[in-house]
Amino acid sequence: MTTLGLSEMNGRRRQSLVANPAACTGCLTCETACSLTKTGHIFPEMARIHVDRDPFEGRFVPHICHQCSNPYCLSACSVDAIGISQRNGAVLIDREKCIGCKSCQRACPYGMIVFDEEGEKSFKCDLCGGNPQCIKVCPMHALGMAYFGGKVPL
Amino acid sequence: MLRVNVTDRSTEVIPTEPYSKRFIGGLGVAAKIAWDEIGSDVGAFDPDNKLIFATGPLTGTLAPGSGRMEIVGKSPRTFPKEMTTRSGMGGYWGAEIKYAGYDAVILEGEAAKPVYIWIDRDRVEFLDAGDLWGKDTFITQKKLKENHGAKTQAICIGPAGEHRSRIATIISETSFTSGKSGFGAVMGAKRVKAIAVRGSGGHISIAHPRRLINLVSHCRDLMGYNPMREWTVGYFPPDYHFRFYEKYRTGNGSCFGCPLQCFAFIKVLDLDPGQAHCVSYYYMKPAYTYYGETPEGDRAIWQGVVLCNKLGLCTFEMTGMVPWLRDLFGAGVIDEKGSGLPLSRYGSKEFIVELLNSIAFRRRIGDVLAEGAARAAKTLPEGWSLYEKYYPAHGQTEHNSVRDFPGIALLWALDSRDPMIDHHAYRHLSVSRQRWPEPHGLSPEKAGAISEKIFGSKRAIDHGTYEEKPGAIAYCQNRSAVINSLVLCDWLYPMFVGQGREDRMGDTGIESKLLSAVTGIEYSEKELDRIGERIWNVQRAIMVREGRTKEEDTLHEAYFRETDIERREKGEAQFHTNVASDQTKPIPRQTFEEAKETYYRIRGWDEKTGHPTREKLIALGLDEIAEQLETLD
Repeated sequence: MTTLGLSEMNGRRRQSLVANPAACTGCLTCETACSLTKTGHIFPEMARIHVDRDPFEGRFVPHICHQCSNPYCLSACSVDAIGISQRNGAVLIDREKCIGCKSCQRACPYGMIVFDEEGEKSFKCDLCGGNPQCIKVCPMHALGMAYFGGKVPL
Repeated sequence: MLRVNVTDRSTEVIPTEPYSKRFIGGLGVAAKIAWDEIGSDVGAFDPDNKLIFATGPLTGTLAPGSGRMEIVGKSPRTFPKEMTTRSGMGGYWGAEIKYAGYDAVILEGEAAKPVYIWIDRDRVEFLDAGDLWGKDTFITQKKLKENHGAKTQAICIGPAGEHRSRIATIISETSFTSGKSGFGAVMGAKRVKAIAVRGSGGHISIAHPRRLINLVSHCRDLMGYNPMREWTVGYFPPDYHFRFYEKYRTGNGSCFGCPLQCFAFIKVLDLDPGQAHCVSYYYMKPAYTYYGETPEGDRAIWQGVVLCNKLGLCTFEMTGMVPWLRDLFGAGVIDEKGSGLPLSRYGSKEFIVELLNSIAFRRRIGDVLAEGAARAAKTLPEGWSLYEKYYPAHGQTEHNSVRDFPGIALLWALDSRDPMIDHHAYRHLSVSRQRWPEPHGLSPEKAGAISEKIFGSKRAIDHGTYEEKPGAIAYCQNRSAVINSLVLCDWLYPMFVGQGREDRMGDTGIESKLLSAVTGIEYSEKELDRIGERIWNVQRAIMVREGRTKEEDTLHEAYFRETDIERREKGEAQFHTNVASDQTKPIPRQTFEEAKETYYRIRGWDEKTGHPTREKLIALGLDEIAEQLETLD
């Protein structure tokens, strides 16, 4: 995995998921597909996307990783296991380097780091290498991909 | 599977494997347990009655339409006698119970005082429901989420279930309902207010994840753009339903992991919001007749929907009961003073609120109506003669123009409940989709080609004749049994119609492919058909044990006479205006009886009695049922 440091990220374009809570119906297809792609099982707690459901108010809010340009998780990592993808700006965790200390989980303001208790490693949305499965399966088209940031191409 | 006894508060985990090989899961497993454990002499409200809440191998997976589960038990609703039957339910509870590590919950016994059951993976607790008893379903669920966390999923009953109304439902969230079998009353008799589940940290294993993902995308391509979604927006029919949706729909709604999104999420003015479906709008025409298309009218309509769900009453029952009450009042059988209902203000908000509350709490005439319209009609003078036009069989209101469609008439006659709730595919192919406008429609030529491929004849979907129907419906019943066992949604499967393709040709083999990808055991379509036939025979064996005769495989006699019912009037009670027709002719009894005998022959059952033969049951691998049924004869 070739990743960039924070200073190298400066001014570059990056990709991120965007979510539209108004279109979301809380069907959890995204969580299901994400966990199936990433773990090989239907395992919603290990999904890298989460939906808050309030069926009595009709409020369904998808929570996504914003792939911050100045990621708290990256700053919090003491072993430099987190970097930024050269290709699309996704914030990635290096499984080999991760020591499972959960610092990143505590640091993330959006609560988007999941922790695998069995493997003792942290995981997060990696944009499926540029082709996110959640976008593909969402029946309401509530999820999409957007470009952010400067002019310098990645 | 989890066995829960509320009498002595014991629990037991039993393996699914002994059942799943022959019966897959869901309905199949539940029906076998019902055969083994619910005696024919057990009453619906007896402590010995059981409710089996069963999921299947595909429940909670990515497979489109896999949010459902099946409930089996002795039903208080079926008429004239209580029969063991099934009832499906969508939503999120099925998936959650799978994460918690159980394929099914078998609820037994009768608690001394109100309890609710809290399942947190390995921990199963019986908690006091004293403060929840008497509360509506929305408050109950909100309270449970408060107690156990926002992600808790619950199925619960409202006051109607607590008062053992035979038309009481089990509800999850705002409108996922097990309605037509009255199982809410059974839960009420057991004094179980709710079953709350949290499966945190649990997962469902998938044998071939990549294959499943590819299959799902194939499935969705085949489904094409989904007209059902338009339907909830009010596309069909473009009238006052449409305008109602335009005003109040805030979005769609769906069961777990489903691309269909067939619910509409409705918020009407200051009333509780919620999801709603076709039948929910039973009060639309009365209210608009009374108020005109005003906000007051809209309030009355939505009050009718949301109050049913909060009290735990069946909206489908109201499609027949509401106009019937008007008729009774018109004929002078009941009056305002005696009944306690504002009958002269039929169509008003006060009328529907008073009616629903009186049924749920069994006040005044509500005490009689809580037995269901069919039973109530028998006790009121002239009640039956005014009611029978709404009533084809099984104590349930007409669903899908039984009179007009031979295939649908046979399905009704040969089942133990309203079958049209899990045989939608046949109706879609033969009726509904052909009436939908392009680009979602299906031309008669294309429908004919599909019928030719599936049933071997174009005539199987020709509603002018009873020919070819017995074979076609036997096939549909088998497939329905498979789908209820996997458990998938019958709106999508069997996929007769592939809306996404130019020739509209579907793929009936999809269920077997999905099952193979999830379990890792290779199933062929033929094998599944065979399993479906086996499950249908178990259901039939249960019916026979409970005294079902050939003579009872029929519709109510009014359907063999001319009717004076104006179909337009029927449309007022039912949202299904697009499937009601102007047909008033009687069903030809002789032809009908002959078709039944052909059906028995195709099934390999005894033509004289309609009972499954010993040879047939043994050939299907149901030796023990063959033995036990024989000792009965």
